[in-house]
Amino acid sequence: MLFRSEEEINAWCERTGQPRGETLTLAQTWELAQRWYHDRLRPDFRGRTPDEAQRIFQQLGLTSPAWSLKPADESSCR
Amino acid sequence: MNMRATGDLDQIDDLDWSVRTAVYSFITEQMRPPTVDEAAALLGVPRERAALAFQRLNQRHALFLEPGTLTIRMAHPFSGIPTPFTVQVNGRAYFANCAWDMLGIPAALHADAEIEAHYADAANTAVTLTVRDGEVHGHDEVVHFPLPFQRWYDDLVRT
Repeated sequence: MLFRSEEEINAWCERTGQPRGETLTLAQTWELAQRWYHDRLRPDFRGRTPDEAQRIFQQLGLTSPAWSLKPADESSCR
Repeated sequence: MNMRATGDLDQIDDLDWSVRTAVYSFITEQMRPPTVDEAAALLGVPRERAALAFQRLNQRHALFLEPGTLTIRMAHPFSGIPTPFTVQVNGRAYFANCAWDMLGIPAALHADAEIEAHYADAANTAVTLTVRDGEVHGHDEVVHFPLPFQRWYDDLVRT
């Protein structure tokens, strides 16, 4: 979801009752999009394993629990 | 729609993946997903076999069908229906599923793009962003991901 600022995200969440999630800048989102989609049109693309997805997130510094593919109770023990 | 037994849907073979390739090729050319009849014609297979491929690919999240139908709703990063994110690449206009996918389209096509997007809290306010020479140019926008990644497939439309 696209917003003009973090403050507008907060206001929208408060107004709609939707959960406050993770935020990326446009540049971060572009970097993520490139790593995620660069090979999407290849005939041999078969999707990403959880480990591959996790590696992409980690390479971009996305290490909060929201980006974890481990069960919530396991990640909370770290 | 004739739904196959679950066991059939859990299998997948080279022909199914060829259908996936054909779907994406069709989208990049026609700016919309193919119908199952169009996919069958492209691959030279019976309609029923193309339908099975659609269902198997849906089962594996390789593409996403409207529930109970054979209509492709999403083939990420492309949307099968109009959305607030229009992406122009090489003279063609595509709909993206979300703010991430509006950048996913130029990433997948390895091309520059001009994007018209709408803010989540101001649907009537359009903004133009560009991807040029490997960089995105906007107005300091931020992208909100309301759900943790583990839950994205709970309700992909909402995500």
